[in-house]
Amino acid sequence: MVCSLGIEGSANKIGVGIIRDGEVLANVRRTYITPPGEGFLPNTTAKHHREVILTLVEESLKEANIKPADLDVVCYTKGPGMAPPLLVGAIVARTLALLWKKPLMGVNHCIGHIEMGRHITGAQNPIILYVSGGNTQVIAYSNKKYRIFGETIDIAVGNCLDRFARILKLPNDPSPGYNIEQMAKNGSKYIKLPYVVKGMDVSFSGILSHIEELADPTKNPNKRKRTQEAESSETKPADLCFSLQETIFAMLVEITERAMAHCGSNEVLIVGGVGCNERLQKMMEIMCEERGGKLFATDERYCIDNGLMIAHAGAEMFKSGTRMPFEESFVTQRYRTDEVLVTWRDD
Amino acid sequence: MPQISAKPYESTLNLSFDTPELAEIAYRVLSVDKEPRRNFVQKTLSLELDVLVVHFYADQVKNLRTAISSFFEALLLCQDTIKQFGDAAVEPEAQEENNAGAQSSTDSA
Repeated sequence: MVCSLGIEGSANKIGVGIIRDGEVLANVRRTYITPPGEGFLPNTTAKHHREVILTLVEESLKEANIKPADLDVVCYTKGPGMAPPLLVGAIVARTLALLWKKPLMGVNHCIGHIEMGRHITGAQNPIILYVSGGNTQVIAYSNKKYRIFGETIDIAVGNCLDRFARILKLPNDPSPGYNIEQMAKNGSKYIKLPYVVKGMDVSFSGILSHIEELADPTKNPNKRKRTQEAESSETKPADLCFSLQETIFAMLVEITERAMAHCGSNEVLIVGGVGCNERLQKMMEIMCEERGGKLFATDERYCIDNGLMIAHAGAEMFKSGTRMPFEESFVTQRYRTDEVLVTWRDD
Repeated sequence: MPQISAKPYESTLNLSFDTPELAEIAYRVLSVDKEPRRNFVQKTLSLELDVLVVHFYADQVKNLRTAISSFFEALLLCQDTIKQFGDAAVEPEAQEENNAGAQSSTDSA
């Protein structure tokens, strides 16, 4: 029996979760929300995390109704992510591990998402689409590693959505992506956008520049395009949100389908913050149905960054015998999914 | 290790804790993170019973300030964690004066 506490703080969410033998005991989270039109910066995000992290640890212990002595391992996000917020989680996790005399485990953020998704949905060996504000990857498991089949060659899909939300001055509460999703429901006219799939990889930065110009022609004056657009009447923000979602999600579905065909897999698991977008889930579901496959997705509690996924992945690592020397409990901004040896899977 | 000029700017912090055990916890927690390579600051931590001694060498006052500020952020977070969650691990008597603080600081910049 392994009881594990996990701390996640690689971006603007800070969360603490406790899991005991796969049973969810606590999962608490706070989000650093910036004013509309603004993104979150590393140092102010870290400040936010420092102010709430200890309260969250307290809350999680209370919710789980356990004492620190009941824990077997303390886990934290080692990377990838922004260094200052990552460091907040790491320092608290280190201190707690020493105070409580428990082993410490650094967890790869992406592995946390994957293992949480598998655990909650029960998917066995799915093709994984990991889509969030910082990552966009199509992943398949093979020979003790989660291999990256395709990924973004520039910005993440969530970053593209977040930044477009800033242009439209949509609120960041509860999240910019959620507000784009709601706005897109009122859109009906499809505006043609670039569709950028390169082999198994995707690119979003060009699409973002293009749609930014459509939304605000004064910002990036491109005369040729402007005269074209001026003729074709005004573009409504709702239509732009709708068109952006349809285009970028279609790209993601395409590379996911190709990975399924290549691996002969009939399961797809969507994880990461963008994964709770219902339109993406719907489009993926249609593709899966056509192939006789099955889609697995989770809701915002497990999709969006949370401490529980770190606790769970850390517990799996711990159970399979992985140990981390205390001196190696640093954080790292770059930490690829395929760097982690998957000791807890035997297939 | 970054190269530092012959006449560096230095600073030493002497931080005392309630017990040598707590000082050791802070020492181990704060020793893990290395200074960023391009910061041109050398940071050395050592332990003298219940006092954590941190010494900084830097090539520029600006870099010294940055290194010390970020060190303080980490130290305060570690201290707050000890204050809030230390009671289970440390003997209960020690709780009353759980105030590790900067006792003295000598600068030769």
